[in-house]
Amino acid sequence: MRKSLYETDEAIMEGIRNDDDRALAHLYKLHFPMISHFIISNSGTDDEAKDIYQEGVIVFYEKIKGNSLELSCQIKTYLYSVCRRLWLKRLAEKGRYANRIEDSENYLSLEEDVPQHEENERQFGVMAEALDQLGEPCRSLLEDFYIRAQGMQDIVEKFGYTNTDTAKNQKYKCLQRLKKLFFTSYKPEV
Amino acid sequence: MFDHRIYEQIERYLAGTLPAEEKAAFEALLLSDPRLADQVQEHRQVLQAMQHYGQRQQLRHKLNSIHTEMETGSRAITSELTAWKVFFKKHAQTMAVAASVSLLSVFGTLWSVQQMKKPVQQQTARYIELRREVEKIKKEQRAIINGIASADTPAPAPRSARFSGTGFAISPDGYIVTSSHVIQGADSILIENKAGLKYKVTEVHRNTDYDLTILKVEDPSFAGFGKLPYTFKTASSDLGERVYTLGFPREDIVFGEGSLSSASGFEGDTTSYQISIPLNPGNSGGPLLDDKGNVIGVINGKQAGQEGAAFAVKSSYLLQMVTEMKERENGLTVSLPQQNNLSGTSRTQQLKKLQDYIFVVKVYN
Repeated sequence: MRKSLYETDEAIMEGIRNDDDRALAHLYKLHFPMISHFIISNSGTDDEAKDIYQEGVIVFYEKIKGNSLELSCQIKTYLYSVCRRLWLKRLAEKGRYANRIEDSENYLSLEEDVPQHEENERQFGVMAEALDQLGEPCRSLLEDFYIRAQGMQDIVEKFGYTNTDTAKNQKYKCLQRLKKLFFTSYKPEV
Repeated sequence: MFDHRIYEQIERYLAGTLPAEEKAAFEALLLSDPRLADQVQEHRQVLQAMQHYGQRQQLRHKLNSIHTEMETGSRAITSELTAWKVFFKKHAQTMAVAASVSLLSVFGTLWSVQQMKKPVQQQTARYIELRREVEKIKKEQRAIINGIASADTPAPAPRSARFSGTGFAISPDGYIVTSSHVIQGADSILIENKAGLKYKVTEVHRNTDYDLTILKVEDPSFAGFGKLPYTFKTASSDLGERVYTLGFPREDIVFGEGSLSSASGFEGDTTSYQISIPLNPGNSGGPLLDDKGNVIGVINGKQAGQEGAAFAVKSSYLLQMVTEMKERENGLTVSLPQQNNLSGTSRTQQLKKLQDYIFVVKVYN
């Protein structure tokens, strides 16, 4: 990997838009020490640092993918701000209030981005739970079809159904159950 | 009621792969059947959530692998750097305040020291010698003359004087006195009076203590000044005596009048008088006369920033210098005038008689 390829923020963002994993890796490695230092010097652990940082990168990544990011600062500042906010929230959940945060960077308040991310997280949490409760083979069936976008024919062979109709019927039943599980615990905020 | 066929249709509708007429029919059905509409809505949500979930899982997976890859590589080089940054961030404000306070105090001290020095400066370095720098004016004049005479080939203009002052005759046989600072650094000196008589002169004797210099006319055509109308006063003059001077602060002769305001000069200099005559550069070397037409001094300077404080060397020192010169320069004698023709005449009469013996001293170098 040539480093000079992603020297500017623009290059990194362009790379992420074009699904370039190297750009993402570069970005990830570039800013991790900063966040890890921040978390650790504000009473966090290595694992928590990794967690928060990944969440921050995900917020950034999805913003770029959704083309909804209007970056008025450096990526570094943005990531720092997001992670800072996430970490403060995490601390509050743990019942510990950091009365003095040791900052090494400037940060933005980010009124909108983080709450939206939290809403998404909640949805994913519910989805993960619903899929867990669904059990096999329903889970794999739905994941294969909807997430990995495999063809019906492949699924028939993989799961040993007699024909596609049986598979479709099975899929229908599974989806029916998933819907029920999902909507019992998830009420989208209107 | 709902079976997988309807699900399939919903999915195809959501994916937008339904043929046009079927799509229209399905949309009509949606409008009429709110339960179906709810189903479609729910279906869409579940599918979206599932797809997002899938993408997210993938992304997490990717990030995890990046993380492990990173951890196997080198790490923790930058932590020291960031520790320093935290320290800086924490104390940046304090440091800024400290820096500005120290800057302020340094420059404040410098400034106030300067302020305290100021009055001292005013008292010391404000003695101005009144010789005049003429080059500039002369050059402008020459430019005008050249402009007029441009038709014929311009002869090389004579070099103009660099400084000028005033001088006056002390004996009929061609001795002139002026201030030493006027002719300082001179190559050649010319004198000229109001009547237009011009002579080349050379320095005969100089006394820088009194700031006086005696010059002598060198011209072979020189036949003497004639009888001088004034005499030199040997005694000190009294305070409040009305005095006047004639000099060349500009091209023409200028009269200035005032009174003798102190028997000592600048900073208590006893060789000088302080006089209240407005003087300008070019007045240096001019005679200071009293009402009776006695020369009582030689103008040489004034104090800057102080109204009406000019100075003149006392005539007794001039006389002392003349005798000194006699000893030094091989018995050179100067026959000083003994008879005063001015006393008793009106001021204007005095001036008329005087002005032929007052010269502008032009200094070239």
